[in-house]
Amino acid sequence: MNDRLTTFISGQRDPGGTLVVVFLRGGADGLNMVIPHGDDLYHKARPGIGIRRENLLDLDGFFGLNSHLQPLHRWWESGDLALVHCAGSEDESRSHFEAQDFMEHGGLAAGGWLGRFLRTRPDAGSSPLTAVAIGPTLPECLRGAPSCAAIQSLDDFGLGPHVPAGFLHSLATLYRSAPRELGPAGRNALAALERIQSLDTRDDPPAHGAAYAADPFSAGLRQISRLIKGRVGLQAATIDLGGWDSHLTQSVIMDPPMQRLAAGLHAFATDLGAEEMARTHIVVLTEFGRRVAENSAAGTDHGRGGVMFLLGGGIQGGKIHVDWPDLATQLAGPGDLPVLNNYRDFLAPILTKQAPGSDLTKVFPGHALRDVGLY
Amino acid sequence: MSPLSRRTLLKAATAGGAVAGIGGFSALSQWLTPLMNGGDDGLDAFQPPTAEEIDDAAHVLNRLTFGPRPGQHAEVSAMGARAFIALQLEPEKIDDRWTESRTARFEALHAWPMGELLEYDSRELLDQLTRRKILHAVHSKRQLHEVMVDFWSDHFNIDPSKGDSKWLKPADDRDVIRAHALGSFPEMLRASLLSPSMLWYLDGRVNRRAAENERPNENHARELLELHTLGVHGGYSQQDVMEVARCLTGWTVRERAKSRYAVGKVEFRSHLHDDGPKSVLGTEIPAGLGAGDLDRVINIVTRHPATARHLATKLCRRFIDESPPEAAISKVAAAFLSSGGAIRPTLTALFDTSAFWASRGGKTKRPFHFVVSALRATAARSNAGPALQEHLLRLGHAPFQYPTPDGYPEEAQPWMATLLWRWKFALDFARQAIDGTSFPAGKLVRAAGGEDALAAHLLGRRASAAEMQAAASSGAPLALLLASPAFQRF
Repeated sequence: MNDRLTTFISGQRDPGGTLVVVFLRGGADGLNMVIPHGDDLYHKARPGIGIRRENLLDLDGFFGLNSHLQPLHRWWESGDLALVHCAGSEDESRSHFEAQDFMEHGGLAAGGWLGRFLRTRPDAGSSPLTAVAIGPTLPECLRGAPSCAAIQSLDDFGLGPHVPAGFLHSLATLYRSAPRELGPAGRNALAALERIQSLDTRDDPPAHGAAYAADPFSAGLRQISRLIKGRVGLQAATIDLGGWDSHLTQSVIMDPPMQRLAAGLHAFATDLGAEEMARTHIVVLTEFGRRVAENSAAGTDHGRGGVMFLLGGGIQGGKIHVDWPDLATQLAGPGDLPVLNNYRDFLAPILTKQAPGSDLTKVFPGHALRDVGLY
Repeated sequence: MSPLSRRTLLKAATAGGAVAGIGGFSALSQWLTPLMNGGDDGLDAFQPPTAEEIDDAAHVLNRLTFGPRPGQHAEVSAMGARAFIALQLEPEKIDDRWTESRTARFEALHAWPMGELLEYDSRELLDQLTRRKILHAVHSKRQLHEVMVDFWSDHFNIDPSKGDSKWLKPADDRDVIRAHALGSFPEMLRASLLSPSMLWYLDGRVNRRAAENERPNENHARELLELHTLGVHGGYSQQDVMEVARCLTGWTVRERAKSRYAVGKVEFRSHLHDDGPKSVLGTEIPAGLGAGDLDRVINIVTRHPATARHLATKLCRRFIDESPPEAAISKVAAAFLSSGGAIRPTLTALFDTSAFWASRGGKTKRPFHFVVSALRATAARSNAGPALQEHLLRLGHAPFQYPTPDGYPEEAQPWMATLLWRWKFALDFARQAIDGTSFPAGKLVRAAGGEDALAAHLLGRRASAAEMQAAASSGAPLALLLASPAFQRF
């Protein structure tokens, strides 16, 4: 089996590494995650729910990180984490469903941007594990991917627990002499299987002292980490974290998912370690941010500009990408942070880094990309 | 081959088959025993193929259908392979009421007028479309029609996730693809050009010229030439794309977001049409024809030799080989041209080529074909529900989910990354572990007349010694045969 394994791995070692897309569903309030504490208008607009200077982790003298995101601070300091404020898409519906679809499709295009990327990248994957969605269903962004699987855990991979002894040997015998493309494909698949099974049985503890929490987000990231370390040819993984729709009692709603987000990403990045993180890009998106002014229920309503987190992959971190707007005169619609940074402009360089030579006009049709200088 | 000599051959082959069993399928029998008390689905004893190689009957079943059902090989052997082809080319003469009744409950697909579709949850519509497609492919007796529906669905691919297409694709499937699958190509093209779902998908609805400085949207015009008709090397220029786009300006569709009434209705708005003179592929179109430009374009492109060649090549790739011989392509293209783009005579010419009869078992099934052929071969019943659809999704071949206008690829290589999931399907299916899908396992072995015979039924020829050996020692013989290289071929 070893010769097969080697063939498979050498064929699958993606120099670009893995793209991990985290979607915060429900419209995460960027203003209370990455707080413009140097802007008095922020404090005025949010007298009840605004985060006070003494309760946050300062980033650059003007912005600060919510203390519930504290585990991420270390990645900011090490220069691995970049932030994008006033980020979002053109969609102005302020509808969760519409805005998520728009962002995941990459505009009014058909199919998902990630699916198109995986299909058109020059080194399109030939592994059955090219793309994985953690969760019960595939997200829209993966629609149209050449191959992808929605999984809850690694146990969903492979042929399952009901493979009789002798089955794989019989397959190997027949595929050894299979005609045309079936022969090599069969040998690849058998090698992949071997790989998955060794992952199944060898549940290594996380490396570098990383500790994953028990919630589904952290557990899902742990599965992704095992796939990355297992070298199964994983090019992209998606995972959702919901619960951000903070129309009332904002901190009661938002603090728990913020803690899960930060703890999960911290454990994941620690577990992967520096070498692996250099090849792994983590992108955190949300469909929209929220209204600047708090509402009468100590919450915030659907808005426009939100925050993106970009972690790893050799990105030049410790930096917030935004030309901060005047909150008195530059708000959008009913009083929302404007979208000044189109999310595609920040995905594009990451996709190019992952798969040089990708035709981004096919991934993001109808959008003129702006150079944002991430590296 | 005369009927008499075929019968003689069959007899001889049967005799050979009886002594050729290698060690039997004890594992299969053991394995299936617990399932043998299942419900009776009326599966009668049948005669599987007995030849060493794929014979005429097995070949036409492979190529014109989504795979043989129990007993079909004997049926086709009796009537003759060419008679089977002739029958499949006239689906209206085949009674298919049973299939129709099984899919009648997908009421949304019959919604009329178009606006009724908008009343549905779009995910429900996609589910109904998908189920109907699977169930028709599995059960319809009009198999060639279903195979061509699959072919044209890719040729005129629409990913319904774009805009109002979410609601309008069922109408496209019904009124463009299914209505014309074995009819007239020019008529199908016309229906497609005026399909509200396509007008959304390729932006035709915003292709307009209301002011002097407005440039038409080229998207639909380009795909019309590149994918639907002439083909990318068909000899058209950028100027032709622009001119076709001008011809198509003004055709719009009432949008969900803007209209309350008659949503999905296609209308020609003359004030949005560029009514000047045009020149398409060297043919002049005079000014002032208005909506009439559309039919001029259809005439020009469907009579163009490059269109005949493009379609002939695609059809030969589907029915003959990934690299079909030039002689076959020319013959099929000529039939297309001389029949004015009629699909039946075009296919008749294709099935008449020596290349068609010479290429046996040389193509690789796409995943949808693979799954459906497994269901057909085993007389399976399925609700085509989420569990089965999940398998198709993993296999990368969920119906109506291909994002770009070129449709799912026909060639084998892009599908090789998901071979593992074919094996997973074979294992899950064989142990009756796909929710909503099952087959009469024990009856199947008995009806086929034993394990060797069942293997021959699945592979379309007698299984080799190596295949029987591998099946017998696999611990799950049926799954192994479904997962084997031979079952991936057709």
